[in-house]
Amino acid sequence: MEPYWLSLAEAARLMRNGMLTPTCLAESLLDRIDELEPVVEAWVTVDREKVLEAAEEATREAAEGVFKSPLHGIPVGVKDIYYTDGTLTTMGSPLFAGFVPDHDADMVIALKRAGAIVLGKTETTEFALHDPAPTRNPWNTRHTPGGSSSGSAAAVSCGMAPLAFGSQTGGSVMRPASYCGVVGYKCTYDLLSRSGVYPLSWSLDHIGFMTRTVEDALITLRTLRPDLSDGPQTGKPPRLGLLSGYFKENASEEVWLGFEKAVGKLWGEGAQVVDVKLPESFSMAPSVHRVIMAVETAAAHEDSFRERADDYRDYLKGFISSGFLVPATAYLRAQRIRGQIISDVVRILEGYDCLISPSTQDTAPEGLHWTGTPSFNSPWSLTGLPTITVPSGLSGEKLPLGLQLVGRPYDDIGLFRVAAWCEKTLEFPLGPKDPHTP
Amino acid sequence: MSGDGEKEYIRMVAETARTMWGEETVKQFMDHIERTAKAVYEVGSYPLDASAEPVTKLRPEAA
Repeated sequence: MEPYWLSLAEAARLMRNGMLTPTCLAESLLDRIDELEPVVEAWVTVDREKVLEAAEEATREAAEGVFKSPLHGIPVGVKDIYYTDGTLTTMGSPLFAGFVPDHDADMVIALKRAGAIVLGKTETTEFALHDPAPTRNPWNTRHTPGGSSSGSAAAVSCGMAPLAFGSQTGGSVMRPASYCGVVGYKCTYDLLSRSGVYPLSWSLDHIGFMTRTVEDALITLRTLRPDLSDGPQTGKPPRLGLLSGYFKENASEEVWLGFEKAVGKLWGEGAQVVDVKLPESFSMAPSVHRVIMAVETAAAHEDSFRERADDYRDYLKGFISSGFLVPATAYLRAQRIRGQIISDVVRILEGYDCLISPSTQDTAPEGLHWTGTPSFNSPWSLTGLPTITVPSGLSGEKLPLGLQLVGRPYDDIGLFRVAAWCEKTLEFPLGPKDPHTP
Repeated sequence: MSGDGEKEYIRMVAETARTMWGEETVKQFMDHIERTAKAVYEVGSYPLDASAEPVTKLRPEAA
């Protein structure tokens, strides 16, 4: 088996046993990138020399028995809106063409301290909003991988990286992860530092990452936040609150049928599944999210937009412009309604280990002109609750379907426990996908 | 919520945009202007108690 096939956990175990070196793993992933990048286009920058230099250092340390963390020697993809010291960081925009930061984002600092190796910068939609990257979905290269963390999801999916970081303001981790058949995790708001990640909307932006297994994502979170407690464990199958209503009404028939099939499997293995009625305030989530995001995006870009509006692509230009037209009272009112939605949803969560829904409205749309809709994910960016998407099956067109789990605030570890149980029960194939072009 | 009220609000916002940026720009971004104005109108029509405070962050103690 080629090392690029290994999950993060498997690679880490082999390194500890002296059966794999960080250099060997990095070389295998770099070769995989060389082979597939012309088709998938997941990367903005891969600096082969820098990667191998870091891998050789990690290999020397491993030979001396020094393992900084379970991520020691693991190559990681980083979305191109994360500042990386000495490495091109474009934000997916001509405004930042040629921009090389002189410092790392907090998450990149933490990864390097943990002994991980920055493999390269992954493609993003423009400033992590809408205007697409060139990346293709490995499951069908005629389809979008989703966005905005397009390159991270595609790279993990086809074995170019075992772990890649993204960010989510609407559905920018959950959606691409689901479309590309990988595990995606978005933390509770501010559980992981956003410092050094270019802002889209301060109060909605979240850190997230993708892996091919739940175990790999949990290892990553535990490495970055070793202080998080396990919380109570019952050892029993989980109690799941099934979100229908808004989700059933907006899901495609195929997605909903796939979701019901997955839920049937979970129920068959002992999960308690209870239909949950969404609170009345939840119906305001899309409007509240839009108002907050339009204003905060306009504010974040105000200075550069004044100087260089023509360097923005059409969608972002229109979105920013619309944000300038929102009265201050409407923005504050949206944040007040947000408080109501959060307290209503958190109250509902008290009776369950987590809430479940399909991860996306539909499977990955055909074409690369847009990245699909975040409507099943943005309510959870609005409420700040942790979410995980687990691959749950395939559509008739052999495109991945995902199961979205929504956890209690700050109980990210508890959510991982449920996700691991679901992953085991749903038995989705976990190996990397060779790109398929019909 | 009145459909006429919403339409009138969107018209007013578009008019303001026209004054600021001109007809060409408004035409180009009309979809965004309409969608955001519609969201603003919905937010403005949602009843709230005066004690409801703006919330931008989850509070760990609420977990």
